[in-house]
Amino acid sequence: MRVGDPPTIVGHECQRCGRCAFPPDPYGCERCGAGVDELDEIELAAAGVIHAIATVHRHHHARPETPFTVATIVLDDGIALKAVLTGDVSAAAIGSRVRGVAVPWETADDGTEVVDLRFEVADIGRGASG
Amino acid sequence: MAGNILADRPVYVVGIGFHRYQRNSDATYVHLGLTAVRAALADAGIDWPAVETAYTGTALLGMGSSRIMLSRLGSTGIPMAQVENASASGSTAVAQASLDVASGRTDVALALGVDKPRAGIAAGPAEAGIENLEGGTIVPFTHFALLASAYLDAHGVTPEQVAAVALKNHRNGAHNPNAQRRQERTLDEIMAEPISGSMTRLQCCPVGEGAAAVIVASDDGIDRFRIDRSRAVRIVASATRTERLYPPGEGIDAALTAETAVDAFDQAGVGPAELDVLEVHDAFSIEELLYTEALGLCPPGEAASLVASGDFDLGGRCAVSPSGGLLAMGHPIGPTGTGQIAEIARQLRGEAGPRQQPAARCGLAHMVGVGAVCVVHLLVKD
Repeated sequence: MRVGDPPTIVGHECQRCGRCAFPPDPYGCERCGAGVDELDEIELAAAGVIHAIATVHRHHHARPETPFTVATIVLDDGIALKAVLTGDVSAAAIGSRVRGVAVPWETADDGTEVVDLRFEVADIGRGASG
Repeated sequence: MAGNILADRPVYVVGIGFHRYQRNSDATYVHLGLTAVRAALADAGIDWPAVETAYTGTALLGMGSSRIMLSRLGSTGIPMAQVENASASGSTAVAQASLDVASGRTDVALALGVDKPRAGIAAGPAEAGIENLEGGTIVPFTHFALLASAYLDAHGVTPEQVAAVALKNHRNGAHNPNAQRRQERTLDEIMAEPISGSMTRLQCCPVGEGAAAVIVASDDGIDRFRIDRSRAVRIVASATRTERLYPPGEGIDAALTAETAVDAFDQAGVGPAELDVLEVHDAFSIEELLYTEALGLCPPGEAASLVASGDFDLGGRCAVSPSGGLLAMGHPIGPTGTGQIAEIARQLRGEAGPRQQPAARCGLAHMVGVGAVCVVHLLVKD
């Protein structure tokens, strides 16, 4: 991801076959087999529609704390990904428009603030990227 | 290109054996594996020296587990190897053993699935060095909870209709002495204890320990070792495929299953309407609905109503997961795929007792595994 306002998602586009993918692949194109030197970094809008949604009640790690809600999101660029939802998750449903938000996660040893890209239901009234 | 050597030189399941699936115990994998192999040899009515190659399906045991087990039956020096293919490891062990026999390399081969659960399993996809946004939040039960969410929405199915799969499979498992869960459950019990999305604890398979063994033989092997031909069940198709690229949001497991099933049905020259009995990768209840549709038993969205109408029950049109499936029999990983083949063979022999599908003649075994891989076998009793 790229932390900005709004945050964006970094993926790749294959020069040879045009396939766009997320996450950006360090090895090659899964469609045509082009090497990593033929993959261009692209910025994808962190905006899309919920395709599937689930509230998780049991998790093997302390964070995120349960219950939390995850979704399969189809981005406006046509790429599907899975991510944790934030904000008012009770408003989230299949078909909801969502947008990415950077959520504080932890402070690294060197003082760097680490953020996690999550998605929230896009408030149409507020416009923005959603 | 893909030919079908199983058509040219027939391969038969001639012996099956288990160590029951159970919670992790002090039993060693050697004990588990030997128990299953000894049972399979006795079932086939042959002695260990008749076996000419052996494959051990295991995802968790680590290096070199085959000989330390099987030499306790006699150090015959035969070729052995471990087969790892995620949840489909035991299925792939059967595929490799069948290939050995079909190719003429051997007349009698062993496929053994054995595993013990352990923490900190190394998995290829997680260690490939590809970062995503999930951060470990999408474990298997949530992967399938998301598929359930999309399915419920697309087809107007209720969570209770999906849970009915677990109701049926626990009912079947209660009649299987090798099952980890051998208790009938009520729908209320199955709907309790949410885990992820609509998936509850009893709609998620238990992962324990156990072993399953299948001995396969050629016509020559059957004659040479005077094996009872009336109990032999022919493997008419063995298909393996891996994931391709699918449209965004499409469930890869079902898409991959549909492609693999086409290969298997083409090899055997049979279709889904001819299936009497079916074992699918029902690690989570939603999967049985996805895969029965992907295998072509019914159009998309209709499997839930077939579960409700009893079509997938014992005595119904096609018994699905008569063993109890992964949901009730359990999913000890390595043994699971091998155990499916053993269950189908038992059903087609007519030896399944209280969980017998009447007049079962044609059966299919299906596993998927992370990666993703899919393995489908078709068995027929003449």
